[in-house]
Amino acid sequence: MAEAEYFRWTAELFDRAKIFDKPEALAGIRILELTTLILGPSTADFLGEFGAEVIKVELPPAGDTMRYVTPRGTFWKNASLGFFPENHSKYHVGIDLHKEDGKALFKQLAARADVMVENFRAGTLDRWGIGYRDLSALNPRLIYVANSGFGQWGPFALGRASYDAVAQTVSGMIGITGFPGRPPITCGIFIGDWFGALMAATAALVALHHRRRTGQGQFIDYAQSEGLIRSLDWTWVWAGLTGEDRAPAGNRDRALGASDIVRCRDGFVAIAAVTDAEFRGLCAAIGSPGLAEDPQFATLAARLEPAHADAVLRRVREWAADLTRADLEALGEKHGFAAARVASAADRYDDPHLRARGAVWAYEDGLYGPMVEQGPAPKLSATPGRIRWAARPVGWHNEHVFRTILGLSPSEIQALESRGVVGHWADRVGAKPPDGATPGASP
Amino acid sequence: MTRPAPDPTLPWPEYAKALTDPARARERPEALDDLLVLDCSQANFAGLFASSILAEFGATVIRIEPPGGDPARAFSPEGRRHRDTGLAYLVEGRNKHHVTLDLDHAEGRLLLRRLAAKADVLIETFRPGVMDGWGLGYRQLRQLNSRLVYVALATYGQFGPRAASPIPDHDVTTQALSGVAHITGEPEGPDGAQPWAMPTRQGSWAGWYMGGGWAAFAALAALAWRATSGEGQFCDVSPAEGEMRMSDYGVHWYHSHRQVWERTGAFNISVFPYTLIKTTDAYSFIAGFSDANWTGLTNIMGRPELKERFPTVRDRTAADKQPEIHRELEAWSHDLTSQDVLDRVMDYMLNKRGPGTVATARVNTPKDTLAEAHWWERGVFQRFEDPHYGALTLQAPPWKMSATPPRLKWACRPVGADNVAIYTRYLGLGPSELASLRDRGII
Repeated sequence: MAEAEYFRWTAELFDRAKIFDKPEALAGIRILELTTLILGPSTADFLGEFGAEVIKVELPPAGDTMRYVTPRGTFWKNASLGFFPENHSKYHVGIDLHKEDGKALFKQLAARADVMVENFRAGTLDRWGIGYRDLSALNPRLIYVANSGFGQWGPFALGRASYDAVAQTVSGMIGITGFPGRPPITCGIFIGDWFGALMAATAALVALHHRRRTGQGQFIDYAQSEGLIRSLDWTWVWAGLTGEDRAPAGNRDRALGASDIVRCRDGFVAIAAVTDAEFRGLCAAIGSPGLAEDPQFATLAARLEPAHADAVLRRVREWAADLTRADLEALGEKHGFAAARVASAADRYDDPHLRARGAVWAYEDGLYGPMVEQGPAPKLSATPGRIRWAARPVGWHNEHVFRTILGLSPSEIQALESRGVVGHWADRVGAKPPDGATPGASP
Repeated sequence: MTRPAPDPTLPWPEYAKALTDPARARERPEALDDLLVLDCSQANFAGLFASSILAEFGATVIRIEPPGGDPARAFSPEGRRHRDTGLAYLVEGRNKHHVTLDLDHAEGRLLLRRLAAKADVLIETFRPGVMDGWGLGYRQLRQLNSRLVYVALATYGQFGPRAASPIPDHDVTTQALSGVAHITGEPEGPDGAQPWAMPTRQGSWAGWYMGGGWAAFAALAALAWRATSGEGQFCDVSPAEGEMRMSDYGVHWYHSHRQVWERTGAFNISVFPYTLIKTTDAYSFIAGFSDANWTGLTNIMGRPELKERFPTVRDRTAADKQPEIHRELEAWSHDLTSQDVLDRVMDYMLNKRGPGTVATARVNTPKDTLAEAHWWERGVFQRFEDPHYGALTLQAPPWKMSATPPRLKWACRPVGADNVAIYTRYLGLGPSELASLRDRGII
């Protein structure tokens, strides 16, 4: 039938086995990053997954703070687990930017870059003489992405430190999340960083589009708190029209009925039946098809009345309690409403669908051996994203970058090393290679 | 259009403001004003956010709704409408041309094909295979327009073992499948299962906004490739995988140690202190997790002995130590307001009273955020006067850019408001043809 034929065609079009035989969308774009933690590194990483060459500059010997962020202090092969998901296929160099020669070297890289990404506190790199004013004078085509918590200017931009969770608090995101009357919770992930990186990388692509038309680079000021504010859907228009604050509503969705997370026999399942057709499907699955005709529930507006929504969700919770995650997912597919498990890391790791799509990406790394990570998010038919190698220790690619990109001779590099201008990893867990690894033996 | 460079002697914040102040955005060109985008999404805010991003940067976006209007117009808290439209749609109708077209009707499909022949990007959110079945899928439209970038959003994507799943794409199911809901929320305490001690969704549509962000990113990456190759392509975007890409390092931890990451409320398992504490007026976030920053925080607290009690990152991220540290933090903040906490942190930081960087911020309600001058000065919020919808408080585009700043031009338009303008301009349809299409319910 036609539909089966469609999926045969998409399976062929997006075949994972052919990814490395296809070109890359951002081939020829060079990103220079001087970043730490997640917001900056993942901005560059998302572009790198689609073919940009990323040179990651760190201050030797300790490098990026994220090299020491790992669950319960658990390191693996001398690396933090936190350092992997935002540092793929990059060239890692160590330059001491507190030294004048280090700044000069950095400027040579910036002169050859298309995009510069940084996430220092506002004005720091300008003070160091390697900020936008300095680099754009050298390279007017440069797109300079300055990521921060509060932006490059404005009252909060002056000296105030920020992390992901600061963005979650000041944006109001934490204030609208969780169960009424309970202490506030943070998002399980560093959501302000990750979403911020996606927004910043998107702006870099927009600026590249403009540069293709005009030859002109530009400056991008991206504040992660402001990205989260943008993402809070109807929060602000609601406050403006009603004068009311938006309070946490638990897992129920005040704008979508029915939508919730429910407990079942072997875990939790998210359920959403929002349009009338979806809601009729849910009622059929519950075994109460008449419910969909009841005036209390017949339209979305009626279902969103708080008392009606509570009544429906009570029914849904009672019904789901005795079923399994697989039962509920199958009923959603049969009746045309959304039902999906609350997936743990283990659920995702072993999921054949995610493996087939490369959303869970298994590969053999030259330094760390077998790796399993989240793969590139969007799947592009002609220019698919890919992972080439895993994160590397500080300064792992000094030789490659300084010789092949800057054209320095081995003796010049040696001289820079001996003066401490360039350097590599400390003999410290988090910074150093796995025990027994040979530098130069893997990319 | 060239912009006079700001006075180079200005201090950085003033220079950066002169470079990027969105109040002057209208004086500068738009990066994407050469693009025509068709947004055929239905009942889906991932699709709507994707086209909002492109529209904020200047693309001409034609929002194609079924003749009764997109069901997404009804997705609103308690079903509330402002004029004819729900509050969430008022936020994501921005800068778009709103037309109606019945794709269930052969003549409607023909009109879409004629528009697609001229378009640069098409966005859709139907169940995989539906557009293809209508003769409007990528493989049919590329015959008309090989430069077309076709972006399809679906929970399980367009290929892989579950791709044929007919479930509609919803926010809560994306949050669940991504793995983020699994690690967000309060753990079960000694009292066992409680209605609030369960996987918890972000209050906002984080799944849809991340999915939409990835769709815009994918379209822009594909446009970069088109500039090289002259060819469009098919972008397959699963919002669940988009959020999964941001799910930190849970898959890595499972891979390395077979540890499954579980939810921990406001205690971060990798960095601590990095948590929410109670003050006299609100909760506040506070962070000082590296050794140096923990020193700074214990200095600010006047409790340097805590540094000796919890000397290493591993000590501070241990599951049994975190509650102890948290109790000490709350003992300190017990008599302080959130402003006192901020004042003490800023006094330490700005007067360089000791080592370490400490970050803090009050947990805002949305109205707290709306009351802060910083966001208004930076143009993050606008009290927008829309000709049809009146005064609205809207979040502006989150990027500040020097050459091609994004901007908000109009908020939304009623169903079919741009039918005459768009069908006349792009397809040359005259009044009697439009009347006939309207009479037959095609537009």
